[in-house]
Amino acid sequence: MNKYTVINPHEPFKVINTHIHNVDGWAKVTGRAAYTFDIKLPGMLYGKILRSPHPHANIRGIDASKALALDGVKAVVTGKDTLGIKQGIWRRYKDLCDEQILPVDKVRYIGEPVAAVAATTEEIAEKALDLIEVDYEVLPAVFEPLDAIKKGAPEIHEGFERNINVTRHIEWGEVEEGFEEAEYIREDWFRCGGQAHMCMETRCAVSSYTPDKKLTIYHSNQSPYYMQGLMAGVLDMREGDIRVVAPYVGGGFGGKFELDGAIFCTAILSMKCYKPVKIVYTREEDFIASKRRTPMFYYTRTGVKKDGTFCAREAKVFTNGGAYTGMGATALYLTGFFHSFPYRWKGYRYDGYRVYTNTLPSTSMRGFGAPQAMWCSEQQIEWIAADLGLDPIEMRRKNSHQEGTILPGQATIASCGIDQCYDEITKWIKGKGKLPANRSIGISACGFMSGGIFNWFDSPYSFSSAVVTINQDGTVELHIGAQEIGQGSNTTMAIICAETLGVKVEDIKVHSGDTDHCPPDLGAWGSRQTLMTGNATKMASENAKKQLLEFAYAQSGLNIVYDLDIKDRWVHAIARPERGEDFVKLVRKALRGKDGQKIVGRGYYTPHRKGMISPAYSYMLQGVEVEVDEETGKITLMDSMTAHDCGQPINHLGLIGQLEGAFSMAAGYGYLEYMPYEDGKLMNPNLVDYKMIRAPEMPPANIAEIDTYEPEGPYGAKEAGEGLTNPTAAAIGNALFHRFGVQMKECPVRPEMVVNALKEKKEKEAAEKK
Amino acid sequence: MSLSGPIICPVCGKKAKTGSAIDCARHMFGTGDQPHRKWVEAQGLSFIDLLIEQATTPGNRSYVLLGEIIQKDAEKREAEKK
Repeated sequence: MNKYTVINPHEPFKVINTHIHNVDGWAKVTGRAAYTFDIKLPGMLYGKILRSPHPHANIRGIDASKALALDGVKAVVTGKDTLGIKQGIWRRYKDLCDEQILPVDKVRYIGEPVAAVAATTEEIAEKALDLIEVDYEVLPAVFEPLDAIKKGAPEIHEGFERNINVTRHIEWGEVEEGFEEAEYIREDWFRCGGQAHMCMETRCAVSSYTPDKKLTIYHSNQSPYYMQGLMAGVLDMREGDIRVVAPYVGGGFGGKFELDGAIFCTAILSMKCYKPVKIVYTREEDFIASKRRTPMFYYTRTGVKKDGTFCAREAKVFTNGGAYTGMGATALYLTGFFHSFPYRWKGYRYDGYRVYTNTLPSTSMRGFGAPQAMWCSEQQIEWIAADLGLDPIEMRRKNSHQEGTILPGQATIASCGIDQCYDEITKWIKGKGKLPANRSIGISACGFMSGGIFNWFDSPYSFSSAVVTINQDGTVELHIGAQEIGQGSNTTMAIICAETLGVKVEDIKVHSGDTDHCPPDLGAWGSRQTLMTGNATKMASENAKKQLLEFAYAQSGLNIVYDLDIKDRWVHAIARPERGEDFVKLVRKALRGKDGQKIVGRGYYTPHRKGMISPAYSYMLQGVEVEVDEETGKITLMDSMTAHDCGQPINHLGLIGQLEGAFSMAAGYGYLEYMPYEDGKLMNPNLVDYKMIRAPEMPPANIAEIDTYEPEGPYGAKEAGEGLTNPTAAAIGNALFHRFGVQMKECPVRPEMVVNALKEKKEKEAAEKK
Repeated sequence: MSLSGPIICPVCGKKAKTGSAIDCARHMFGTGDQPHRKWVEAQGLSFIDLLIEQATTPGNRSYVLLGEIIQKDAEKREAEKK
């Protein structure tokens, strides 16, 4: 049974943090919610994509004549049918726009699209793929970043010497001085694996191009705004002539805000046929030809005093970028930034190198580089505490961020509840008493951002916007550009809107996921929506409320010193709550003299003067109780505890769902979700061989919600749900360390690694005895 | 020799953060485009070798080395102006 505790509860609200189910829950559980997968348009064709069997090859020619002759095939497209524009989401930096979704002359990884077919049925399209003849000139390939930077390694992209794609340097404080002051310095090398996003809904799209040169795209994505811009770029169309619709999305996790083969190929095929075309990736295609969490090699060197005071840290990181840049450049920066978290250092330095290889491109994934950073950091800190004979929790606590901590040039911490997170984890550990001999506990700390200040698309800054319309019957239309991807953002915005306007959640109708009808917003990434779109929604709601209250003042004849407010659909004087009027009646009166116009409120948000990374940071501690079978190396998670500071929670049911989901994904990264490649080919692209946490593997997920107030967040709210993807793998590693004294330097920790580590340890101990 | 003002990038004319030579070196590595690479190469250094050394060895040697060259270049240019 899961235990849920609230620390510092603050409940002055009517709607916020009350027991509210998702606004789209009915549609989803009754199967009425139409995902892109469900879209069917009149005359629709079905598409399939031919993929490269080679990790690196020149395309000398493609002969599609036999495929085109097959009955039912309507079109075949290759790179030569496109404008050949190299695109990328980092489009403010031309060098990083390196991917043609249908390459014209060269493939760089196994699974890369080469041609696409549209036919009257999916089966005919599939059959046609076998009839397309591609003449490849196979080139030497390289799969690991440390091989790809060697002199003489194959050149994957012209002009990128030694295959170095992007570099990032972060430095603050006095690093050398810090290391000089340190009385103990520890260095370690780590290796972090990739991870598949594993969305319930695989990549899919339906595109419909019409003779009036308008393109409508239904697409499963995290940001219709980005998709519209990117598609306009590669098709040389006006953004306004492209409508992107994403009404319901079956998961994103950072993998769905770049162009994919489905959206691009359906558009190209539809433009050729003037018919709607649909492509749905199979699960295998999703594995081999979407993108993945970035695998990393981490060197980290940490200097501390003997009393556990942290002095300095430096890290060098090589990431396996795969064949294209994608969002990997951002993950490269954020891994370096969060490797310093959640601690204070006299000096911190990070050098990150993203390296091209002939493998599946790596990109953003829930945690955005931080899970890798914390896997290395939090284990090394545990080992340092053990080396020095210190309490690992108290050592962490004394070095942790606090309110007011400044990371020079990067961030100022305005709210921080990590101290209480330590208290709650300590209570949980003590409450367990003596554990059975085959079990142990590991913990790990972390901090994370609430949306990125940065942007790499068309503007250098991040933004969100919202429009609130009050109808004559008192119902409210909330238009937002935020994207609901299953994380509950529509519910969060409905709650914020209802709280601000003083109405009920059921009065709010949320409209999102449609570029024709929703205001611009960068969408769902980096835990930005609660804070950023939440602020825009609050502002739009306040704006609409102000217009209504201006009318209420005029018609009530109240003295202006009696401030008016609306709560529970009752418009009243704050000082005399019994004196008021029903919200709907007031709205009707207010609209009567407005010539048919409705009350419309507008809101927007861009963080100002909040440093380089994020306007706010959440903090958390993760504890796990682990059982290990020494003979087989099998790890079983027995219990877990999360202490999480997310500011003021907006929706505690949503918060629980997010924390449990993040834990499950993070634990999978720690010990199950392994992506082995051989010669550039993924060896387990299916859900039989790729292991994930299922219900039987999920331990109880206990949560302590630490309520703080974040001044920059709407009603004090900040991130929840992505940050917790970061500390869990290290907590599992730390549990193994406490049980066996072994230091696991590669994740995910597989059973054979545990068995080997125990064997090595026994051999070492035996040798020492001799 | 001390300079009369902050160091500006000899390639793009940008003042990097504090205007120190080391910040300018970081800016050069961070930008890493062809004009910046060519300038480094023209000083008799290999841009890519410096990067890889920075990545594979502890410390900040590559940045310090490039910073010293930038400092000398800035001093030379200031002396020429005078």
